[in-house]
Amino acid sequence: MKPPSSTSLASPSKPAGGTKAKRRDISVRFCGIAGDGVVTCGRILAGACASLGLDLMVNDIFSAEIRGKGKSTTTVRFSSRIVHSMGDGVEVLVGLAGKESIEEIKDVRPGGCVIYGSSIPGDLPEDDSLAAHVPPNIHGFGVPLRKLANQATGSNQGKNIVAMGALCYLYSLPQEAFIEQLRKNFGRKSSRALEVNIKAFTLGFEYCKEHYPLSFELEVLDTLEPRPLYTGNDALAHGALDWGLKFFAGYPITPATKIMEICAKELPKNGGWTIQVEDEIAAISNVMGAFFAGKRAMTSTAGPGLSLMSEMIGLAVMAEIPAVIVDVQRGGPATGMPTKVEQGDLNIALYGGAGDCPRVVMAPSTVRECYTGIQLALDLAEKYQTPVIFLSDLFLGQRMVTTSIPKRVERDRCTRKKPFPGELGTYERFKITEDGVSPLLIPGEEGGFYTITGLEHTPSGNPNFESNVHSMMTEKRYRKMKAMCVDLPPADVLGDKDALIGIVTWGSTLGSVVEGMELAREQGVKSKVLKSIMINPQHEDSFREFFASSARIIVPEVNYEGQYAALLKSRYGIQPVEMHISAVDPVSPAKIANRIIEVQDELTH
Amino acid sequence: MSLLTKRHVIEGLQRAKTNKAQQHRDVLPTWCPGCGHFTPLQGVYEATERLNIHPKNLVLVSGIGCSGRFPFFVKGFGFHSLHGRGIPVATGIKIARPELTVVVAGGDGDGVGIGGGHFPHAARNNIDITYLLLDNSIYGLTKGQVSPTSPFGMISATTPYGNIGYPLNPSTLALTYGATFVARVFSRDRDECTEMVTQAIAHKGFSFVHVLSPCVEFNKFVTYGSIRETIAPLPSDYVPDDHVHAIQYAESASPVYHGVLFKTAKPTYSDHMQTVFEKMKGSPTN
Repeated sequence: MKPPSSTSLASPSKPAGGTKAKRRDISVRFCGIAGDGVVTCGRILAGACASLGLDLMVNDIFSAEIRGKGKSTTTVRFSSRIVHSMGDGVEVLVGLAGKESIEEIKDVRPGGCVIYGSSIPGDLPEDDSLAAHVPPNIHGFGVPLRKLANQATGSNQGKNIVAMGALCYLYSLPQEAFIEQLRKNFGRKSSRALEVNIKAFTLGFEYCKEHYPLSFELEVLDTLEPRPLYTGNDALAHGALDWGLKFFAGYPITPATKIMEICAKELPKNGGWTIQVEDEIAAISNVMGAFFAGKRAMTSTAGPGLSLMSEMIGLAVMAEIPAVIVDVQRGGPATGMPTKVEQGDLNIALYGGAGDCPRVVMAPSTVRECYTGIQLALDLAEKYQTPVIFLSDLFLGQRMVTTSIPKRVERDRCTRKKPFPGELGTYERFKITEDGVSPLLIPGEEGGFYTITGLEHTPSGNPNFESNVHSMMTEKRYRKMKAMCVDLPPADVLGDKDALIGIVTWGSTLGSVVEGMELAREQGVKSKVLKSIMINPQHEDSFREFFASSARIIVPEVNYEGQYAALLKSRYGIQPVEMHISAVDPVSPAKIANRIIEVQDELTH
Repeated sequence: MSLLTKRHVIEGLQRAKTNKAQQHRDVLPTWCPGCGHFTPLQGVYEATERLNIHPKNLVLVSGIGCSGRFPFFVKGFGFHSLHGRGIPVATGIKIARPELTVVVAGGDGDGVGIGGGHFPHAARNNIDITYLLLDNSIYGLTKGQVSPTSPFGMISATTPYGNIGYPLNPSTLALTYGATFVARVFSRDRDECTEMVTQAIAHKGFSFVHVLSPCVEFNKFVTYGSIRETIAPLPSDYVPDDHVHAIQYAESASPVYHGVLFKTAKPTYSDHMQTVFEKMKGSPTN
């Protein structure tokens, strides 16, 4: 059995004069340096595709430097089918900065094309320009980007919009959708800005129409409705805002800052507040103070911030204070790679801190789950009086996708367990109960007083270091994790339910796994994946059932150690095939497919 | 003046049955007899009584150290947090629920050592909380190590050859950080301490009371006796409205002045939040 090549998604057919080659999905990568307008290109193309009802995903890759010659790329993948991941390779490379784009050519699939700046059509100068590096199996389309931009804008700006016009023509996309996006993007600035950009776009379009009769076309299956666009960070912030969030404290850190920025803008509209504090320790302290005072509160950070918060998270466990901590993971350890993705913070989320320290750990897999998941996180934190660590990651937080966001009503929200009137005379803050959850009185309410503490304590909250008290209270804290299972969403099995190869993954890697499974299926190998937003606690029965029905388990994740695999091994006693992907870019579906096929081969031999 | 002991405080508590914020439940102060911290504790009891603050609206926050036990001894809602984190916890409580009276009690190690990064920000933002810094110039709960306010040359468990670091001055820090009420008091003086704590809680904005509160068990260098030798009230004509003046008086080492060093009226963080809320109401995009 042959592993699929990276070109399996694209039709290899060559476009001929006057005919249009069909494409099932198209990935376009814009490559440039600071000031080339790479991000603008991505947003305009994404906006246009979303307005046409296509499914899409956008991924930006920046260098960590704001100024200077840092290279940045934006890749937009769009299709009339569901886009689960960024896929493998790209169909089109738009080289806004020629030299920097050369190394991107290796990602262009055979039969794809490169749009580059040139002075005459079809020009292939014998130097280190981008054009000279376009191999024979890839179409090169030279467009005088600079000259046309200059003609439109009177300056060197606007090359990106000229290239956009060229792309629109070459891929037979409706011009109006792009013009509308230009209007949205530049219309607010000035009428001149809009005018020159429309001119730049038209010049690019007309140039290609005149010089290149060949073109491509996206296979469109249905008549489609316009779709809204969200990044994971947008969805997460709005999910919390729509679910009673009243307070946010944070410290700027890539790639989580956007969440704080959205909260800063939106919270005061509903009587809530966002404070930028002096460090992450202060952030989690403020959040715990606000939740202690009865307001839903959250912070967001990345690995370095989560490290600083670890001690206070231990206090939240001990003193049973709700808190929601979002970690948009980036490459680590230490400062690591602020603009690259890695799923390396699972261990600190699960185990960071002193002592026996049970806490909730969740990891959304999709942008939609960022929205719904953070709402569950707030509910669990409040109802079970526990910290909840919500592990997003850079690729999930910054990717932009078309998705639908469910609207939920306030009465579905979980609330704290309040003391019965009869309990008030003898109120105990940490009363022993069957589910471990004690009724909670908040400051300002009548009926009792208490002091919460990080010291071990009796049910009334007084410090106490006796062995039986410590055992009783530790058990109580762990009991909440078990009791919580009634409120957790079930783990879903995706793919072929009867397959013998079972995959368990977490976080943003799921999209690449689903697509890898589809690729493997095209090669005749069936597989299934267990999708669970819950890392701790989990619906253990559904995991056991899944493992029992699988002959081999594959656990792919983006870290060196296999942190999730280690948890699954110790929790369920399984011996999975571990895939430790050391990726700084989104996970390749082809790699997942290859592994599935290899495991199938081992099974049959 | 007789030395204040645990017995005195317990007797005081029994006398003051009407005190709304007096000690509650079965927790008695765990401090050593003669500890300076009893005085500000009594100050909080009396201040909340004088200001008619109902215990259900009173939140006491602390960090770690001897001072960290403060909330346990007060009737109200208490948050005994981690070492140095009293101020940011209190900030979150106050922003979430501006109607609550929030008092932070912390020590010198807690407030200007491990938690030293938080103090400037609550002060500069004029968060409407009261911060009682109970300064005994030593780490008492860990049995006698040098602190950021220990004098140069002080011998302690971790400075057996003498402290070769210089002490900082918490009152000066409070002033330069932008606290809008700054007072210094000697824990020997119960009446002044109660008066300062009352004024601090009544003050709108970040109020700071630097309590010189000797550790009778571990600090043999900074004692009731050594403080009494250097301390003096602010001049009778002193007016606490000049920032630069206040810093000069706060810095004075001989004598060390006690009393209200600085007081100014300035909108609080909560006041500014209200202004934003009012603007949002009028905004068409809301």
